[in-house]
Amino acid sequence: MKQRQLWIVLLLAWSLAPMVWQLISSFSTNDALIATPMAFQERWTLQNYRELWQSNPPFWLYLINSSIVASVSTLLTLLLALPGAYGIARLPKLWRQNSRLFITAAALFPYVLLFLALLELARTFQLGNNLIALALPYSALSMPLALLLLSAAFEGLPQDLEDAACLEGMGLLQRLRWILIPLISPATASTGILVFLFAWNEYPVALTWISDAKMLTLPVAMARIAGTSVYSIPYGAYAAATVLGSIPLLVLVLIFQRQIVSGLTNGAVKG
Amino acid sequence: MNVLLALPALLLIALVFGWPMARYTWLSFHADSVLTGLVPIPNGGANWVRLLSDARFWQDSLQTARFAVMSVSLELLLALAIALLLDQRWRGRGAVRALTLLPWALPTTMMALGWRWIFNTPYGPLEQLAAALGLPSLNLLADPNFAWMATVAADVWKTTPFITLILLAGLQTIPADLYEAFRLEGGKPWQSLRSITLPLLTPYILLSLLFRLAQAFGVFDLIQILTGGGPASSTESLALYAYLNAMRFLDFGYSATVMLGGFLMLTVIIVLAAIALRSIGVLRPVK
Repeated sequence: MKQRQLWIVLLLAWSLAPMVWQLISSFSTNDALIATPMAFQERWTLQNYRELWQSNPPFWLYLINSSIVASVSTLLTLLLALPGAYGIARLPKLWRQNSRLFITAAALFPYVLLFLALLELARTFQLGNNLIALALPYSALSMPLALLLLSAAFEGLPQDLEDAACLEGMGLLQRLRWILIPLISPATASTGILVFLFAWNEYPVALTWISDAKMLTLPVAMARIAGTSVYSIPYGAYAAATVLGSIPLLVLVLIFQRQIVSGLTNGAVKG
Repeated sequence: MNVLLALPALLLIALVFGWPMARYTWLSFHADSVLTGLVPIPNGGANWVRLLSDARFWQDSLQTARFAVMSVSLELLLALAIALLLDQRWRGRGAVRALTLLPWALPTTMMALGWRWIFNTPYGPLEQLAAALGLPSLNLLADPNFAWMATVAADVWKTTPFITLILLAGLQTIPADLYEAFRLEGGKPWQSLRSITLPLLTPYILLSLLFRLAQAFGVFDLIQILTGGGPASSTESLALYAYLNAMRFLDFGYSATVMLGGFLMLTVIIVLAAIALRSIGVLRPVK
């Protein structure tokens, strides 16, 4: 019993210590970060957060940009994936298995390799520096996972239910809208939150599609901050940025952890 | 009708994943760089000849493989231990599971920046710890022999929760009766790990191995931010090399060749691994 508690404490320390260190650094004065212990007033400060607020462009702009991209990507993905997943779930067995194999292969693909071709597409169709356009590659890249999760959920619904709805004279769209999609809402929620997290965190595509400082998403903005001053010591402002950028995600994960867990495990196991 | 519903989504996937591969194949037989004014000009197999004799490409391949194998095996071991802990019944288990998931959910770029601060010389906590213990300065990120370990540590921290969840799902499919029977037969608890848990968990282990190896092979964000590929390219990954070729050296033709070369290697490795696993009977054909 005692032994287990020790392991739990170690596990939590391992998982949380790097984040706690960021939190502490973000409230520390630059002197405190590089010197030995000092008096309270010189040790703690809000200056790092003030700097972020006053920077140009202000840091909250990146939070807004990322929220826009992630929300639009999630909506677009679900809009495309729901009918697609239903179609796949109702394909003849052999076709269905082959489609799943194909989708799984795409889900395994290290998508970072796509960045060059996607960049060329962005240039050809002038999609660069446009937050809404960035949702297009994000939706396409999330499509494999979304299709796997949602089609598995559609397959889990009893066929009788649909037959009954057919007898009632409901068309396909009506069945989807009023019966099938409401019934798989847990899977839809899992898919939605995973796509949202992907779009919020995505880096290589955003890095190559967005160059305008006012349009940057959070990960790219962070990387740019990091790149401008590789070994500079006043680290407090970066720590404050990581803390502010993490808060929305921490809230999302703690609220939706059940959906995330079921999404990840179903996605892996059923895929 | 169902086919009509399925087709757009499938076509979109084929387009987004297939078009780049076709495009890279085409580009890899063209010179397309600042020297050609970014206009593709056919150059036969010159890019591929260059790739074969490009020491940096092969070095990066080995480094990428080292990163992938080391981080995924460490993640697997840690995840197994954590999953076994989380599979037991105790108060507060759900909250702990949620908290351990946090590293996985945060943007890689953000935490890579955080890890750079942790490894910072001389002000990071690791250096201060070493100094407090009277050890010499670690200077991890500046040492070409050891900097890659920093990238592995950060990756293990971030992606272990993912494998943990998969293994935990696997553990929960094992009926408790099995352990009970084993105990009644006189088996010790640690023996049940070898005779029951691991064999039944094998499909889940293989699944997470396959998925994580493919992802680790494409490692980019973490290395670009944490080390920038340095010192002396000692942590550079294939994806980062391809990125540098395209965006810094503005050589799109060669960048495409590097990516295709890396992708072919990954495919060969996965196919060989699947054949090997099948021949020793670990992997069975899908029924």
